[in-house]
Amino acid sequence: MAADIAADFAIEMIGITKRFGPLTANRDVSFAVRKGEIHALVGENGAGKTTLMNVLFGMHLPDSGQIKVNGAQVEITSPQVAIGLGLGMVHQHFKLVPSLTVAENIFLGMEIVRGGLIDSASQVAAVRALSASSGLAVDPTRVVRDLSVGSEQRVEILKVLARGARIVILDEPTAVLTPQEGRDLFRTLRGFTDQGMTVILISHHLDEVLEVSDTVTVLRDGAVIGTEPAKGLTEARLAQMMVGRPVDFGRKRRDGTAGAPVLTLTRIHARDDRGLPALMDVSLTVHAGEIVAIAGVDGNGQTELAEVVAGLRGPSYGRMNLNGRDIAGAPADIVRGAGLAHVPADRLVRGVDVQASIMSNILMGRQDSSAFSKGGMIRWGRVRAEAAALIKRFDIRTQGPDASVKSLSGGNMQKVVLAREFSQGKQFLLIDQPTRGVDIGATEGIHDEIMRRRAEGVAILLISVQLDECMKLADRLLVMFQGCLVAELDPKTVTVNEIGLHMMGASHNRKASA
Amino acid sequence: MTDIPLARPERHVPVWAQGLIGQMLALLIALAGGAVIIWLVGESPLHVYEVLLRGALGSAENVAGSLLQATPIIVCGVAACVALRGGLFNIGVEGQLYVGGFAAAWVGFTLNLPAGLHVVVGLGAGMLAGALWIILPAIMRARFNANEVVSTILMNYVAVLLTSYLTIAVFKRPGGWSETAPIAQTAYLPQLMDGSRVNLGLIIGLALALGLYLFLRYTGAGYAVSTMGSNPKFAAYGGVRVKRNIVAVLLTSGAIGGLAGGIETLGVHRRFMEGFAPGFGFDGVIAALLANGNPLGVVVAALFFGALRKGSLLMEVETGASREIITVIQALIILCVSAQILIRRRGGISGEKRWKF
Repeated sequence: MAADIAADFAIEMIGITKRFGPLTANRDVSFAVRKGEIHALVGENGAGKTTLMNVLFGMHLPDSGQIKVNGAQVEITSPQVAIGLGLGMVHQHFKLVPSLTVAENIFLGMEIVRGGLIDSASQVAAVRALSASSGLAVDPTRVVRDLSVGSEQRVEILKVLARGARIVILDEPTAVLTPQEGRDLFRTLRGFTDQGMTVILISHHLDEVLEVSDTVTVLRDGAVIGTEPAKGLTEARLAQMMVGRPVDFGRKRRDGTAGAPVLTLTRIHARDDRGLPALMDVSLTVHAGEIVAIAGVDGNGQTELAEVVAGLRGPSYGRMNLNGRDIAGAPADIVRGAGLAHVPADRLVRGVDVQASIMSNILMGRQDSSAFSKGGMIRWGRVRAEAAALIKRFDIRTQGPDASVKSLSGGNMQKVVLAREFSQGKQFLLIDQPTRGVDIGATEGIHDEIMRRRAEGVAILLISVQLDECMKLADRLLVMFQGCLVAELDPKTVTVNEIGLHMMGASHNRKASA
Repeated sequence: MTDIPLARPERHVPVWAQGLIGQMLALLIALAGGAVIIWLVGESPLHVYEVLLRGALGSAENVAGSLLQATPIIVCGVAACVALRGGLFNIGVEGQLYVGGFAAAWVGFTLNLPAGLHVVVGLGAGMLAGALWIILPAIMRARFNANEVVSTILMNYVAVLLTSYLTIAVFKRPGGWSETAPIAQTAYLPQLMDGSRVNLGLIIGLALALGLYLFLRYTGAGYAVSTMGSNPKFAAYGGVRVKRNIVAVLLTSGAIGGLAGGIETLGVHRRFMEGFAPGFGFDGVIAALLANGNPLGVVVAALFFGALRKGSLLMEVETGASREIITVIQALIILCVSAQILIRRRGGISGEKRWKF
């Protein structure tokens, strides 16, 4: 009988411990996933979710503990072994080749070959069939470079399915999706479990965890706090289990009035990397002590807007003024000199140098400032002291200023970026997707930091694809659609549905046809 | 004994040591591969390596010879290293060496200047020529993102053939050899000891390597360059002017390559000879790669290559192995180092495995 009960589990991880030097990432973790369920794994940054999944997927060997897949004890020594056991992992950071087509990416390393050549037609047909049976719509002949983030994710999932996965692990899958895309994804995942597959979901969006999953396991500080059915749980209860204390979910209480204009954009136009118009006639003003949020579906010109404001992309037309200085077309160092601090959307590409130490990352942009350099020489002693202070102040979980950034979890990397940008006393903050891929406890901390800057009189331009974030923080809400600002809304009175309509271009089309 | 499985102690090796271990391993594998080839041509690998070692370090004279060979490799290595740390590949050091050597020699046999100043002007001309030789690839890279590997390699052929033409057709000394007139005595780069042509160039090379090391480690500009090398988008975001730095880094690299040529003509040959410095530029590039971009490591790698070159002379006399075996060993080193870079980049501490250059 015992064997029968065991066979009901797709995955059993028993007493897993994993250390990295002095850090214990997983402490005696036991984690069991029933066949055919959606099992959510939640926890704060550095709680050990990703490490546990990496152990399961053969990327780390545990220091102790055992793993059973479908009731049989196994030793997963590499991802290849994991794939052979029917496991598939969709990473938070996609691992696709941008220059190849969807079908080529899906069959990468397992190409269908005929007569020594890749049989593209069969690959495309196979992807079409897989796409139809799984409900993941993609065009197999498109080049991945041209896909939206949501489509890229579908390709990642198809890649896993094409390798025969019956147990699918998704790491923060909705971090980059719109609410609609997120709902589509969950419908797809439910379809998987209806077909007898098993899904493990790493997430920190508590509402969606409760909505989509059957069972929830909470990790904190590397240990399991509890495994419970999702039905009996509430968001507040879940958050408390994760953080260890009650968490505030409400709209931020705000007071104080906005001051003088700090950033002014007048009729800005810009082109994207392919030379196509990306921004059209964008005008906006951000005042001191005010948060202006830009909402919109990813890919409607927010990236280009952020780059233009940050001095990383020259506008083709228009005027920009920061603290009384004309910054249109000025390079990043000049814009920073005029008072910009910038939290970029993609921290791995732009926000940090993962190979370098935390200390070295903290220095960026200030290597020539009098605080950290004298006569052209960097004062590394001061940099180290500053880094140590920021690690403490921003609660960055690390071994110290000399630790490399690549040893940090995603949320802690983001804290390094925030620590560097928030601590410089700049008058203008450009914040692009501040909590992308960051979990709830850390999100709360980041939002508090943003509100603190606002209270200090900093002008803040917030770009976010997460509506709740925009509504929670903003004094004014602008909606971006196809490179234009199509609406200015009051976040106190507007409804999610109304914003959603603007995001899909309802008002814009009406204006265009009128 | 306990039933609980004991945790394996995590290896806690500093990053620099990890690199060092890797490079040593690459070197050993290359030497082992070389041994197989020596054995295949019917010689005893042990004997050949013994002769190689004796030829390189067996006497004070041989050590001096090794240093002489190492000098241009050190300077070329520093040239390649500057570019490498800025995230750029200057494979054109060989060409810069040729034009730099010729320019310095031309100053040496044409101008009439007081001693000391003549040397400085000669070396300056070499640096200027080297910088000019890379200006086109540098601008093309900064402006159009044209791959500098290809453009600098192509400039090599032009440099070698142009200096050949100038030597044979324009400045040839009457007589048999393809060489220019000797330079004036005032342009001689001082030699460090009697009985050997080891010259001030060695000191210049060591000073450059140390200078580059300190520059990268302790100055704001050096921080900007090395950050640009490891993540150019991050550097640009932080306010580093990437395009401007690309040009500056490549011109500096080219100037140092030209300096290497000047040191060879003013310090060793005292004229410009066609094919005067076979492969020093390429050896420098390999030394920089083997040292993983660490300027002090470049010196070590260059000394090793210099010793190989010097040792190979005796090896050819005493054994049946050809001097080309050295080239084979160097090629094997490149293979091992490249393979090693791939392996190292694959699995970081984060366990995230991705292929990346």
